Amino acid sequence: MADGVSQNGFSIIGKPLAMADAVAKVTGIGKYADDLYVPGMLIGKILHSPHPHARIRSIDTSRAEALAGVKAVATGNDARNPYGILPIGHDERALALDKARYIGDNVAAVAATSAEIAEQALDLLRVDYERLPAWFDPEESMKAESGWIHEQRPHNIEKEYHHVFGDPEKGFAEADFVAEERYYAGEVNQAAMEPHSTLAIWEPHDRLTVHSSTQVPFYLHRTISEVCEMPMSQIRVIKPLIGGGFGGKSEIIPLEVAACVLAKKSHKPVKITYTREEVFLAHRGRPITIVYLKVGITRAGKITAVQARVIQDGGAYCGYGPVTVLYSGALLGAIYDIANVRYDGFRVLTNKPACGAMRGHGTVNVRFAFESMLDQLAHQAGLDPLEVRRINLLKAPCITANSLRVTSYGLPECIEKVFERSNWKEKKGKLPYGKGVGVACSHYVSGAANPIVRSNMPHTTVHIKIDRDAAVTVYTGASEIGQGSDTMQIQIAAEVLGVGVNRIKLVAADTELTPIDLGSYSSRVTFMAGNACLNAAKDMRDQIFAAVAKKLGCPPADLVAKNDRIAHSTDSAKGVSFDEAVAIALEFHGALVARGTYAPPESARGGNFRGAGVGPSPAYSYSAQVAEVTVDPETGHVHVDKIIAAHDCGKALNPLTVEGQIEGSVYMGFGQALQEDMVWQDGRLMNPSLLEYRIPATKENPQIDSIVVESIDPEGPFGAKEAGEGSLAATIPAIANAIYDAVGVRINSVPITPDKILEALRAREKAGQRAETNSLTPEARP
Amino acid sequence: MSLPQFRILQPLTLDEACRMLDEHGSESMIIAGGTDVIPNLQMRLFAPRVLIDIKPLRELAKIELSRDGLRIGAAATLTHALETPWLGEKFPVLSSAISTIAGPLQRNMGTIGGNLCLETRCRWYNQSKFWRQSLGGCLKKDGDICHVAPGGKFCWAAWSGDSAPAFLALGAEVEIASAAGTRRIPLEKFYKNDGKDRIALARNEILTAVHVTASMSGRRGVYHKLRVRDSIDYPLAGVAVAMDVDSTGVCRDARVALSAVNPAPMLVRAAAESLIGKKWSRELAEEIAHVAIRTGKPLTTSGSTPVYRRDMVRVFTRRALEEVWNSAQQSS
Repeated sequence: MADGVSQNGFSIIGKPLAMADAVAKVTGIGKYADDLYVPGMLIGKILHSPHPHARIRSIDTSRAEALAGVKAVATGNDARNPYGILPIGHDERALALDKARYIGDNVAAVAATSAEIAEQALDLLRVDYERLPAWFDPEESMKAESGWIHEQRPHNIEKEYHHVFGDPEKGFAEADFVAEERYYAGEVNQAAMEPHSTLAIWEPHDRLTVHSSTQVPFYLHRTISEVCEMPMSQIRVIKPLIGGGFGGKSEIIPLEVAACVLAKKSHKPVKITYTREEVFLAHRGRPITIVYLKVGITRAGKITAVQARVIQDGGAYCGYGPVTVLYSGALLGAIYDIANVRYDGFRVLTNKPACGAMRGHGTVNVRFAFESMLDQLAHQAGLDPLEVRRINLLKAPCITANSLRVTSYGLPECIEKVFERSNWKEKKGKLPYGKGVGVACSHYVSGAANPIVRSNMPHTTVHIKIDRDAAVTVYTGASEIGQGSDTMQIQIAAEVLGVGVNRIKLVAADTELTPIDLGSYSSRVTFMAGNACLNAAKDMRDQIFAAVAKKLGCPPADLVAKNDRIAHSTDSAKGVSFDEAVAIALEFHGALVARGTYAPPESARGGNFRGAGVGPSPAYSYSAQVAEVTVDPETGHVHVDKIIAAHDCGKALNPLTVEGQIEGSVYMGFGQALQEDMVWQDGRLMNPSLLEYRIPATKENPQIDSIVVESIDPEGPFGAKEAGEGSLAATIPAIANAIYDAVGVRINSVPITPDKILEALRAREKAGQRAETNSLTPEARP
Repeated sequence: MSLPQFRILQPLTLDEACRMLDEHGSESMIIAGGTDVIPNLQMRLFAPRVLIDIKPLRELAKIELSRDGLRIGAAATLTHALETPWLGEKFPVLSSAISTIAGPLQRNMGTIGGNLCLETRCRWYNQSKFWRQSLGGCLKKDGDICHVAPGGKFCWAAWSGDSAPAFLALGAEVEIASAAGTRRIPLEKFYKNDGKDRIALARNEILTAVHVTASMSGRRGVYHKLRVRDSIDYPLAGVAVAMDVDSTGVCRDARVALSAVNPAPMLVRAAAESLIGKKWSRELAEEIAHVAIRTGKPLTTSGSTPVYRRDMVRVFTRRALEEVWNSAQQSS
């Protein structure tokens, strides 16, 4: 860190530390939203549309309302204002007003004294639907001439972007090898262990307190205000313990609004918890993505041009859609030194649940395509695919072709680390048939440089208070969702103030107590809330130093805070305990209150073209991975023997949690690579359960060898960047490339299920037989 | 979804359980481990007014070996079977199959009887009430259309138990009790190969035990199961082989049975006569594997494709035969 924090002599930073909430989670005393209970609480249930696309002619609520125990029934008329996470995409209502747009769309909600009564009440609701034609395939949906899913979105295209950087035509002309393929990625869901849950409590003086499983309390706060037509000052949002988000809780989920509407209507506390099926119906996972990719390289392995046409099946609502499709373009080429890029991205509406910002937002499926194709081109050119990646590295610091500012770039070291650890040279192309290794790289943002709602206000603010008990209380809006947000800020405050972590009390994500933070999405928390916490802690330290320096009769700059003492840097006997220092400082200042903020610098905010706002980040993380697989050519079964993953996180503030994040990312990538897939039939999800939607369990999970690479970013807190998402995208192509190395077939569609491998092997066998026949000269033929 | 309302009755003896069944008839249902019944109740696949809980009946929980052979009580847990050391030694195909059932938590709760009486499964059937209603039901429940084989009047919901093919490979019999007395029938006759009406158990009857004759003791065997996740999944296909191989490597007797590719677990009838009197050869194993394919008729009732599941019946049959013969070779 440029600002007076050296990389040496840390007490707490860089040390493996168990998470602050670990004991509460492991012992079960921690409270998730569904664990909350208040007297008089009602249970809410939602009626979902059985039709993929239908006009709602009328809803008869009278029989449901008449059922004993039912306290409120709400329909679209009770919350008419549309909302959406993006200002350009306010197309959702918690309860449909005119149309239902997918099987599972929210039509009405009831609050009753028990879940059983609420369920009975749903059966008594009578909805008169007029069925409409529906679209399920994105490439078909784009051809629609009328009857669009949203009238204001012609041809069911939510958004399209067309970007050209450099001169792609010239680049392809310079290439010695050009590949063109179609890639397909099936739809995947976060499958967080905690299903969504919201408790909305109506309180005296027309106030509303909302406890919700959210990654974005601030956006939820705004949305409730807009939809319920209440000032934000009357609403309090509290984020309890969260059982995983991965982006599935990073926008406003219908149950959150429905619970508030029912609470307002009944003047009672109302809790709604989704079933697992409802989690799949609310969805917000990674969209089906079709990538038409063309890449050119020279004989020497230099990439000369990239061209991608990307179609994302966004489902029935906008959500984060335009951001997803922009990330796909922005991150497509920016990991390497590529001068010529053409990108055409389409976000398409279909009659299915809305997709969202799943871990590795926007980058995962294009990375699968790109890294697979790079492998293919390397083989065509007779080059080592790992070497091809070395050849195309950026020379940081630099600005990429699409105006992204790269300040630190640990990718070269990541590649070297996995090269060595995997024994690549001895293995690549040299293992027996059925065994193989594959390499791939990925990268990700450390927070979006531009906020969702444009403003010049800070992205995050942290307050610190110390009083006579000498406890340090950190007030932060940042949302702990299992990724280590709380622990990270406790470590930073403790390090700067020179105290043990037990002295730090952290109050987080409660809009009545804590200052603003935009939320846990785009891997922004360590970089942004971390910097704000660092700034607040320094402010507090400066205040204490000023008072202690006066008392000791030395300049404040001579003091250090360490081991619960404030002492002279060269004469440690000259000093006071932290408790004494606090008393001195309180006498001096009266009150000890500090603050810190963070907003990304202007230079990190990107270019000037349409859509340039998405992709820029104050810093980027990098990952290189080698997968080792065993493929059974008779069954097509793939066993991933090991994944070696090196991740450049700038600086590992807590190596234990960084490794956990790398492992978690690899695990999710592994699931998408081989077995996770939301199976659709006419807009109906065929596997809305954790039994049939097959996330890997511990037993299936491969051995993961995680390697932390520290490039020390000049602007990150203590040099830190993101660690929670960037590794996911490399895992999928690394496995796909290893499968090619093992059995010689390329599967361009994920998940790579055994039947696809068998089919490809058989096709090759047939083609091989044909090729043999064709190669016979006419004379030699019998 | 919350559970439907029901009364739960806990008989103290088998006789009492039979009387309760007589009294409540078609409004009642037997529950033991509950690992199949409870999720199905939550999905409202059925809503009995009375559940009769036979789990506490100690007389149904025993695993015994006598001169007559093996007897496993219907309420013995799957874990109990796996932790009975001699069971795996004398009847390896059983422990091989039972160890693949779901995960350890389900095996701790689930019972042998429950696994033999499992509901048939289909992706159009094992869904929530909302899901099924949005579709208008199916042939098996609340509707008259089969979504697996449209136009057909036959329910193809797949048999999805793992222990049944292993017991079939050992020629097991089941013991069935009612207020009228006890009867024993071959396990093969217990299964009706109808997704909608899977087992030959009258409304007033309880499956009380499964028997394997003493002559089957020591028979080599193995179960190969196709699934996505080794940690939990139901079978997409399963092949059980039990074989008597003499010291010269000649097959004296053999049975091959399949799971998850028909509405019933099924013996591959032609396998035995082709195998008896033969020594191992890859060609023979391939021949049996092709015979097995003809017995399995997988349809799109589950996650994978029917083509792939048929393929795996072939591969697994050959591999299971090879494994069994190899183990005979090694020990002789």
